Amino acid sequence: MENLLTAILINGLLLGTLYAIIALGYTMVYGILQLINFAHSEVFLSGAVVAFEVFRLLGPAPDAPPGSGMNPYLVLVIALVVAMLVCGTLNVLIERLAYRPLRTAPKLVPLISAIGVSLILQDVIKFIEGTQGRFQLAVNVPTAFTQTVFSVADNNIKVRDLVLIVVAAVMLFGLDRLVNHSRVGRAIRAVAQDRVTAGLMGIDANRMIALTFAIGGALGGVGGVLFALKFPNLDPYSGTVPGIKAFSAAVLGGIGSIPGAVLGGLVLGLVENLLGVISSFSLIFPKLAFLGAIKAEYKDVGAFMALIIILIFKPSGLLGRSTTEKV
Amino acid sequence: MLELTGVHTYYGHIHALKGVDVKVPEGEIVALIGGNGAGKTTTLRTISGMLRPRQGSVTMQGRDISGVPAHQILQMGMSHVPEGRRIFPQLTVRENLEIGAHTITDRRLIEERIQEGFTYFPRLKEREHQLGGTMSGGEQQMLAIARALMVNPKLLLLDEPSMGLSPLFVEAIFDIIVELNAKRGTTILLVEQNAQMALSVAKHAYVLQTGAVKLSGEAGAIAQDESVRKAYLGED
Repeated sequence: MENLLTAILINGLLLGTLYAIIALGYTMVYGILQLINFAHSEVFLSGAVVAFEVFRLLGPAPDAPPGSGMNPYLVLVIALVVAMLVCGTLNVLIERLAYRPLRTAPKLVPLISAIGVSLILQDVIKFIEGTQGRFQLAVNVPTAFTQTVFSVADNNIKVRDLVLIVVAAVMLFGLDRLVNHSRVGRAIRAVAQDRVTAGLMGIDANRMIALTFAIGGALGGVGGVLFALKFPNLDPYSGTVPGIKAFSAAVLGGIGSIPGAVLGGLVLGLVENLLGVISSFSLIFPKLAFLGAIKAEYKDVGAFMALIIILIFKPSGLLGRSTTEKV
Repeated sequence: MLELTGVHTYYGHIHALKGVDVKVPEGEIVALIGGNGAGKTTTLRTISGMLRPRQGSVTMQGRDISGVPAHQILQMGMSHVPEGRRIFPQLTVRENLEIGAHTITDRRLIEERIQEGFTYFPRLKEREHQLGGTMSGGEQQMLAIARALMVNPKLLLLDEPSMGLSPLFVEAIFDIIVELNAKRGTTILLVEQNAQMALSVAKHAYVLQTGAVKLSGEAGAIAQDESVRKAYLGED
């Protein structure tokens, strides 16, 4: 029982942290443009593909003795930096080409455009990486990251789990400094609140919007690399489900709210893992035998049910502000 | 300081300004009065680059500024306090002022200007760390003006600073307007519904009607004009 709860907690927090990093990309873009960037799941997947390439090119050969080759942490840092650059640039290009020309169009139009970009990117990734019509990428994760560091109640904590937490913490700290305590962060918040008036203050709104896409994309890239470490088997659609989950996390926390995205990610990760193991409760408590019917496959259902239930009672999300019409 | 010559501005297909000519001499307060929909706000928006004139020219200190985007116009020494104040509701009073100084990079200068703003509007200092949106209309108007002063403008465009304020606040705001003009020599173009108040502080005035200047001249003479008295000063 104790093992089970610890497993839920640990896996939930790890997965939740990953969702949180991805959710930030959705929530920041929504905050400044009121646009749901559906292409973000592919931007995130691009980060995972970057990780695949970097580990393939710089990581140890599969048959090399342990400890040979480049330091795996250095390779990881290279993967993170390249992914941030690639995904940040990609997101800025998407905004410039697919959303900015539609800035004055009704809100549904850029949304459709976003879905289109998402599909295009899936095919582009398939085109670049795919061979012989099939596309399966097995990330060459250095063994240094899959070793167990310590165990809590029979649950093994691996190096990559600690890497995930540390990298995410650094990202969140950096993001907070940037958004809440810097000149450009203040300008981004001003543009999000009132784009026209921000212009009167000498702020170039288009630059701030591009910068927001760059930051969101870079975070997505980091999320992709961390995802590739934890789930090393990728295909062109690997971005979709985590993308939808992260988007749900952003909505759950209150879309547009940065702390909300983090909280939403963690809640979603925990709920999902709880649902994944809930059938085991039927073995421990005979009276709860009916729970045995809820198999691990239902965990996605649980995540979305949690979303729906919370939105029924608090439509603005956990930390979201209820929107009032401006007068 | 500022000159509009034959300015035509459109909102889509709506012809909002139909050849407006306005001159704002350096160091003066000029009032722009007129009824709803006369084009007062549109005139200010055209000057500050929020709207682009389709015809005619806007020159500031001899330089053609028509078509310069709003975010670059600040550098020419012009600040625009928009209609409805438009302070950033989720930023603190201090952050609102800092945003006003976005184009300034010298942190010491920014701090100096913030303190200067607080001497004009001591109430803002009391509310320094409060969110802008939680303040009263009068306080927000003070913040909007203080924010526009952060760049120490040569020319200040004020759009209906008295709108929705209690008489006490209207008085206070107009005192500040006169003081800014007298002490700092700031040139002010003032758009007002409150024609009486505007004409009492302005040197020259323009009366706009359906997108064109109907009457212009010394503010005192405009205040005596019979049609103006009837239409805008509530006399018959």
